[in-house]
Amino acid sequence: MSGTVAPGAGGNVVIVGGGLAGFTTAQDLRKHGFDGRVTIIDPEGIPYDRPPLSKEYLDGSLPAAKLSFVPDDWYRDNAVELITDRVVALNPDEGLLELGGGRTVSAATTVLALGGRPRTLPIPGGDLPGLLTLRTKDDADRLRDLLVPGLRLAIIGAGLIGAEVAATAVKDGATVTLIDPVPVPLVPLVGAELAVRLHAMHAAHGVDVRCAMTTGISLAGEEYTVTLNDGSSVAADAVLVAVGIVPETHLAEAAGLATDQGIIVDPTQRTTHPGVYAAGDVARIRLADGTLIRRHEHWESAMNAGRTVAAAIAGVPLPAHGASWMWSDRYGVHVESVGDLVNGTPIVRSVDGAPVAAFRMEADGRMIGAATIDGGTAVRAARRIIDRGLVIDPLKLADPSIELKKLAR
Amino acid sequence: MSTQIEPIKVADVGDIEDEEALVVDGAANGTGRDITVFFSDGQYYALDDTCTHEEASLADGWIEGEEVECPIHSARFSLCTGAALCLPASIPARTHKVELRGDEIWLHPGVPVEGAVTEVTA
Repeated sequence: MSGTVAPGAGGNVVIVGGGLAGFTTAQDLRKHGFDGRVTIIDPEGIPYDRPPLSKEYLDGSLPAAKLSFVPDDWYRDNAVELITDRVVALNPDEGLLELGGGRTVSAATTVLALGGRPRTLPIPGGDLPGLLTLRTKDDADRLRDLLVPGLRLAIIGAGLIGAEVAATAVKDGATVTLIDPVPVPLVPLVGAELAVRLHAMHAAHGVDVRCAMTTGISLAGEEYTVTLNDGSSVAADAVLVAVGIVPETHLAEAAGLATDQGIIVDPTQRTTHPGVYAAGDVARIRLADGTLIRRHEHWESAMNAGRTVAAAIAGVPLPAHGASWMWSDRYGVHVESVGDLVNGTPIVRSVDGAPVAAFRMEADGRMIGAATIDGGTAVRAARRIIDRGLVIDPLKLADPSIELKKLAR
Repeated sequence: MSTQIEPIKVADVGDIEDEEALVVDGAANGTGRDITVFFSDGQYYALDDTCTHEEASLADGWIEGEEVECPIHSARFSLCTGAALCLPASIPARTHKVELRGDEIWLHPGVPVEGAVTEVTA
């Protein structure tokens, strides 16, 4: 069957990419009772979850089998076909996908859930073949094999991946240098108060933190030298480049779909071709008024986008998503944030002088964002306060003796 | 189902506040795994305490209506059936029957509730 399919009219769905957005699309299609064929095409085979790759999987505490979203027999039980291959071309008008292995697959509806690839540094040596990145299970395996006590690991980029790997590597006995030109990373995500506390944990755990731009990387024998713009350099046995991702838009561009640092989609995740949706890190939402939303490269956003795609294809009401949420783990602490930590008036909750939670408030008393360190249910409470538009007394928010969940009810 | 384990009294009515939970230690309940008794909207429920995704305690989760949400990665479970309602969990939580005997809350460790979800569903 080819051509486009009206929502709810059946037809088959081919999902390109088996990350969280792609898998969720398949899972939710079946939850909605969609009875057409569903296929996931991914060169990595069985879909798996990525967050543990920099944490529990990297340190060996989570076995590979537990990375899978579902037990392997789920695919058979739910009639979701897996094709281990790469899609090299898409013809959306014909509904045809050409695979690297030579096969052609037809799709009434195509879902592009291609994610992103690690960004490379546009500097001398930024393309050295031995440089490490962390996006896939293979990447994590490669890094894990190297993580032995005494390894000198230079990490370029102190965002979420860089910080999590630094913490894991230190625990494994590596000597870590963490390089970032931003004095305190993650301020837009968790607010300055918590970001300062989190970033200070690196030095407290023996990480050599360098606030500098990386200007070059060279390899002599088995030793890398990372050159910084403050005149210093770092000698390392391995270098991890963790400076974000570039959305994987090539396939969409070649297929004539609109892209702008992401595949452009409408709020139903539909691309500029009616037979093609896009979801997850690769997709960028354009609102009806033309505003392009910044891509939110976090776990839940990808799941939510997959849920929206599935609902749109199945012709059921689209899910409401609420304030966006993320988590991170480092040095044994659990960090979460929800909503907007950039705007609004800050309120900080501290225990023994250390900030444990930060909130952002609108002038009318509504909360727009919250972040916590080891906050338990606090962020879950904040999320409900935000989504339900509750107005909470700021003095109570700042008081660590008052459980946030009492305020949300 | 494991071998028959005697029901045990875990608390009196009123001991567990609304939308709160009580952990019954694995050694005490006879299953070897901690079981949490939840109280929500006037109903008592019991599930294995450890989230089926990783290691978090569901007793520390967000309890609302007929669901509990894991305090670490926000997987949600049905308190009624144990079903995993969203990723990152897909394996259902084991349910255990809870019975009220007058003002006493009794737990039947290892006895699933009627309608319990025991397999991964769509």
